[in-house]
Amino acid sequence: MPGIDSLSELLARVALRDRAAFEHLYRASCSHLYSVSLRILRNESRADEVLQEAYVNIWHGAAGYNASVGTPMTWMINIVRNKSIDLLRSRKSESASTTELDEEAMSVPADAATEPHRMLEDSLIKAKISDCMQALSSMQRQAVALAYYRGMVHTDIASALNAPLGTAKGWVRRGLDQLKSCLEASGVTGP
Amino acid sequence: MNYLLPERLDLLAREYALGTLAGPARRRFERVLHASPAASTAVGIWRQRLAVLDLAVTPIQPPETTWRGIERRLFSRSPGAVPARNAWQAWRGLFSGRSLGGALAGALLCVVLLRMQPGIVGLEPRIDALPQSYVGLLLDKAGKPALVASSRRQGRQLTVKLLQPLDVPVGKVAQLWALPKDGSAPFAVGVVPAKGSAQIVLPDASEKLFAAVSQLAVSFETAPAKAGDAPSGAFLLIGHCVKVW
Repeated sequence: MPGIDSLSELLARVALRDRAAFEHLYRASCSHLYSVSLRILRNESRADEVLQEAYVNIWHGAAGYNASVGTPMTWMINIVRNKSIDLLRSRKSESASTTELDEEAMSVPADAATEPHRMLEDSLIKAKISDCMQALSSMQRQAVALAYYRGMVHTDIASALNAPLGTAKGWVRRGLDQLKSCLEASGVTGP
Repeated sequence: MNYLLPERLDLLAREYALGTLAGPARRRFERVLHASPAASTAVGIWRQRLAVLDLAVTPIQPPETTWRGIERRLFSRSPGAVPARNAWQAWRGLFSGRSLGGALAGALLCVVLLRMQPGIVGLEPRIDALPQSYVGLLLDKAGKPALVASSRRQGRQLTVKLLQPLDVPVGKVAQLWALPKDGSAPFAVGVVPAKGSAQIVLPDASEKLFAAVSQLAVSFETAPAKAGDAPSGAFLLIGHCVKVW
């Protein structure tokens, strides 16, 4: 992905409290990060809230960014992912304890098992790493996609794919193992 | 449990990066993460691998209110709003309301719009979603497209492009007018060139000016119209002004 150096530079300037650089960084990354959050939370206002908190963290945490553990984009994606997943899960436990389900946010549509799968396929095709997935079984792909794109834990995945917990865990584990070796072999790196 | 045995660490890092490590196990591992560089490195490696899955996910533009919210959270105590000093800052306020995301990509009109300034750091959206804009397509008396006008919803600049040269009489100007949909008096927008393109600086945000405007029109005037002026004669060009969002 292009622009890595530029994002690094921007982040370095943000660490020095450069507000113009911060806005550049926001403009350059917000649509990507918003889609990450929206995908997990599936709710615009909550995704918006997470995005705001994430950029506040980015502003305050830019000085702590460590280039040796990932690109700026990966670093930012993970701030957003973690916040989104935390919010998703806090809402889950909230709804479990009150039994008041927020249908819009929590309902798993009938195609939950296949839609992320399609998104994954799409992503992979665009990223030209589809070869890496050929060896994965359809269930492995779906399990990885549900975890990554929907922030699901193993029990959710098992339930969405109508499989025993151990089986679902196996799909995720083996799917990731294969993905890892293939990506390493093909030299594909993250954003 | 020794979290730092290489194989165990790799498993936990993977689960953590993927998000499947949940509940108390996640919190315990987060404590390990804070204390152990080896653990952060292991998680970093997995994040980088998994981030490949994010590479080609279609970006979705958040509403402009998101940026304003961030500014408010971070800088609301700083003295006053920073005046627009450069193009980026001028960008502020160009969007508002809920983003159309990818939905607009299918709604491309055959007009030239101000494009988002892409590529500054190489991360322009992969979809060419139109920003929320007002667009006018003005026709001449023969019904032939003659002028395109476009402005971002919250922008203060109107881009006009002549699709065919205007035969502006000597000593006159081609004045652009906005016609409110309630039939009230047209108001002057600016002077358009006889050919080519131009940027007209608007006295207010597009949204304020054009929300209730249904048509744009051009007449020849002896001088650029001022606020309160009315068209002196017939319109040479006229067309609908639409919201693109």
